[in-house]
Amino acid sequence: MANHSTATSHADFVQHHFVDAEQQFDSAKMGMWIFLVTEILFFGGLFATYTVFRVMHPDLFAEASKELDVLWGTVNTLVLIGSSLTVAMAIKSAQLNQTRNVAINLCITIVLAFIFLMIKYFNWMHHFSLGIYPGTAYSFTGIDNPHASIFFSLYYLMTGLHGIHVIVGIGIMTWLLVKTLKGEFNSEYYTPLEIGGLYWHLVDIIWIFLYPLFYLIH
Amino acid sequence: MSSSTHHITSDKILLAVAGSLFLLTLLTAGVHFLELPQPWSIIAAMTIAVMKGSLVAMFFMGLYWDKRFNSMLLIASLAFFGLLVGYSLLDTLFRRIVIPGF
Repeated sequence: MANHSTATSHADFVQHHFVDAEQQFDSAKMGMWIFLVTEILFFGGLFATYTVFRVMHPDLFAEASKELDVLWGTVNTLVLIGSSLTVAMAIKSAQLNQTRNVAINLCITIVLAFIFLMIKYFNWMHHFSLGIYPGTAYSFTGIDNPHASIFFSLYYLMTGLHGIHVIVGIGIMTWLLVKTLKGEFNSEYYTPLEIGGLYWHLVDIIWIFLYPLFYLIH
Repeated sequence: MSSSTHHITSDKILLAVAGSLFLLTLLTAGVHFLELPQPWSIIAAMTIAVMKGSLVAMFFMGLYWDKRFNSMLLIASLAFFGLLVGYSLLDTLFRRIVIPGF
């Protein structure tokens, strides 16, 4: 620590432009929520596109949805919900100074995230093998509708963008795991866990809406 | 300066919320196989999805115990999303079909 006035004492991690640790934590959390607002509108553009096209072609969407496997979509939903639970558990463990539990819960979160990506990968590979590609590469003949590729382009775009967010989330969780194993988090300071967790829960919420919109159309 | 003011969510609540989310997921899949007529099918699916999202936001993300302002941020983003979809549909729903089959 540099030469430093002790007129106002504060913990090492409290930066000088904050009044105290509490304000620093609240600022971090609010900043993260503002970022999540941008993420919601980011995906919102695609959800709006989906809405417009589904209203235009309701029968196409219903028929094309049958190509998606409800079982694996449901499994993926449960996998992500489980990973949200373990992230919340990790934060609770940090608040209670249980460093080992933080690490274990983060590990399980990362494993579940990989399982999600694996299932998505096999889903996509199956569709590729049928000739269901995005955009102009679409060559599937099983759906009797000239606009069939609209549904699948949206499917690849939205689950793909979501998948990128899962990959980024795995990176963040791994970084948090490394910091945890170095002993950097405790009940006084666990802010990166808190805001990393908020990101992960949003990724879960986005999938909670993607799942019925693509897999459960009647 | 201590973290004693931070709310610590109990294991009981976390597991109860996760259990509810699991059940709601199975419910929404089950409702799908009922093959309800439109618009009830989409209304049911979105209602359940909103319930699940709310549970995650309130209890996993901690909004239930958090400053109201953060909840307002979330609600504001949904309001603007509503404007985006609403105004888009105001256009696309009322177009006259000039190019057949588009």
